[in-house]
Amino acid sequence: MLSINIFNGLVYGALLVVMSSGLALIYGLRRVVNFAHGSLYMLGAYLGYTVASHTNFWVAQVAVPLLMGLLGLALDRFAFRPLQDRDPLTVILVTFGLLLVLEDLVQTVWGKSNLSVPAPELLSASVDLFGMSVPAYRIAVIFFGLVVAGALTLWLRYSKMGLFVRAASTEPTITSMQGVNVDRLSGLVVAVGTALAGLAGIIAAPFLSLSPSMSSDVIIDSFVVVVTGGLGSLSGAFAAALLLGQVQAVGAVYLPEFATVLPYVLMMAVLLWRPAGFAGNRV
Amino acid sequence: MSRELTNGRIAGGVALALAAGAVVALTVTSETVLSLLTQATIFAIFALGVGILLRQNGMVSFGHAAFYGLGGYVVAILLERQLMSAEMALVTAFFGIALFAFLIGFVVVRVPGIAFGMLTLALGQMFYQVASRSRNLTGGADGINIPWPDTLFGLDISLLTRQDAMFYFAWSGLVLSIGVVAALMASRFGATTEAIRDNEERARFIGIQTLLPRVLIFTLSGTVTALAGLMSAFQTAFVSPESMHWSVSGTALMMVIIGGYRYLWGPALGAIVFFMSRDLVGDFAQHWLAIFGVALIVVIVFAPQGISGALARLFRRKAAVRPATPAVIHKLKERT
Repeated sequence: MLSINIFNGLVYGALLVVMSSGLALIYGLRRVVNFAHGSLYMLGAYLGYTVASHTNFWVAQVAVPLLMGLLGLALDRFAFRPLQDRDPLTVILVTFGLLLVLEDLVQTVWGKSNLSVPAPELLSASVDLFGMSVPAYRIAVIFFGLVVAGALTLWLRYSKMGLFVRAASTEPTITSMQGVNVDRLSGLVVAVGTALAGLAGIIAAPFLSLSPSMSSDVIIDSFVVVVTGGLGSLSGAFAAALLLGQVQAVGAVYLPEFATVLPYVLMMAVLLWRPAGFAGNRV
Repeated sequence: MSRELTNGRIAGGVALALAAGAVVALTVTSETVLSLLTQATIFAIFALGVGILLRQNGMVSFGHAAFYGLGGYVVAILLERQLMSAEMALVTAFFGIALFAFLIGFVVVRVPGIAFGMLTLALGQMFYQVASRSRNLTGGADGINIPWPDTLFGLDISLLTRQDAMFYFAWSGLVLSIGVVAALMASRFGATTEAIRDNEERARFIGIQTLLPRVLIFTLSGTVTALAGLMSAFQTAFVSPESMHWSVSGTALMMVIIGGYRYLWGPALGAIVFFMSRDLVGDFAQHWLAIFGVALIVVIVFAPQGISGALARLFRRKAAVRPATPAVIHKLKERT
C-alpha cells in the first residue's frame, strides 16, 4: 500500500514538475502568476486528444507543445507585454479572465463529457517493479518529468540564452542595458512555459481522464508548488513538486482524513516561515 | 469637509437607498425577479467585503469564499445539532467569524503582495476541502439543509421568507453595511489605513502602529463577507462546499473589479451588474463566464477604475468645470 502510493506520488510529482516549471518560468520573466496555466494544461490535453485520435500519441506529444508554444507567443505579445508596467495584481486578474474564456472554449469545442486518450501501444502493458505491478505508462510519466527537468536545467545552466534568462529574471533592467532584448526573450520564455503546460496536458491525458474540471485541481496544486518552492525558482519548483507528490501519497496512507488538506498546510507553513518560498529568489 | 457633514451625507444616502429599496420591494411583483435581486444583493455584500480589503489594504484575496461559506456552515451546524436557538446561532456565527477573521488576520496580513493572494487561496481551499470531506460534521459534498425554526426574533418565518421581505432584508443589510463602512472610512481610522496602504514604512515613521489597522480592515472585510453568507443561508436554507470553492472567491473579485473599488458602492454595483446581465444574455447563458471573462479583461485594460469610476467621472465632468492646471506643474512636467 505504502510503496504503491509512493510510486503514484512520484508519478504525480513528475507531472507537477512539468506543469509548475512552466509556471515558474513565466513568473520569473514576466512576474505574472498565471491563473490560466491550468486551463492551458487542459487545452493541451484536449488538443492532444484530437491530434492523437487522428494520428497517434507520439505525434500529439510533439504537435501539442508546438501549437501551445505559438499560443504562448501570442499570449505574451498581446497580454503580458502590453501590461508589463501595470500593477502585478491587474495582470493576475487578466489571466483569471483568460481562464474563464479558455474553460468555456474547451467546453464548447469538446463538450462536457469525460474523454480519454489510450496510452500508446508501446507503453500499454503492466510492468513488474519491485514486486508491484504498475502500468508502464506511469513509469514513462516519471521519465518525461526527468527529461523536462534535465533539459530545462541544461538549457538554463549551459546555454547563452539560458544565461540571459537567468539574468533577466533577477535583474530585467540591467540585463536589457547589457544589450539583451528582454521582451523577445520573455516572449520565448512564455512560449516555452505555455508549451510545457500543453505537454503536461498531453502527458496527463492517458492516466487522468479529460474533463472540464481537470484544470482546477492541478492549477491549485501547481500554485502550491511554485509558492512553496519560491516563485520563479525552477529548482525550488522541482523539489516542491516531488515533495507535494509524496506529501499527498504518504498522507493518504497515514492521515487519510487530512490528505487533501496537507498541501495547503505545507504551503502556509512555508509562506509564514519564509514568504519568498524555500528557494528564495534564486533561479 | 467636517466630519459631521460627512456623516450627515452618509446618513442621507442610507435613508435614500433604503427608501429606494422599499419602492422596489413594493412595486416588483414577480417572484423570480425578486429572488434574483435578493441573490444579487447578497453577492453585493460579499463583493463589498472583498472590495474593502482591496480599497483600504491594497490586498487581493482569493479565499474570501471561506468566510462566505463559514457563515452558512456555522449556523447550519449549530442548528442541526440543536445547540442553541436560531437567534443565538446567528449572533454566535456573526461574532465568532469576526473573531476568527481577526485572529487569522494577524497572521496573514504580514505576508506581502502576491504571496498574500496565494496564501488566502490556500486557506480558502483548505476550508473547501474540509467541508467536502468531513461527512460527519458538514455532510460532505451533499451539504446541509438548515432547519430554520418557525419563528425568528418573534416573527413568523413565513413572513420573513416572502420574496419581497427577503429582498428588503438583504437590501437593508447591504445599505447599512455600506453606511457603516463609509462612516468608518471617513473617520481617523480610515485615513490611517489609507496612509498605511500607500506607504507602510512612512506611516510607521510618523508613529502609526501599522499592523493592527491592517488586521482590523481584514476583520471588517471578513465579517461583511460572513454577513453575506448568513443572508444566503437564510434565503436558501442550505449550504454546500461549493460556496467555499476558490472560483466563488474569484467571481466575487471579478465583481469588485468590474464595479470598481475606488467607491464603496462600486463592488456592490459590480455584483448587481453581474447578475442582471447574466439574466439578460439569456440564450448565451452557457457561455456566460466567457463573456464575463472578456468583460473583465476589457475593464482591467481600458477602464481600471471600473463602472463606478467611469460613472463618477461622467457626473463630475458635468457638475464642475475642471480647474486649470497650475503653471508650475506644467513647467515641472516639461522638465521631467
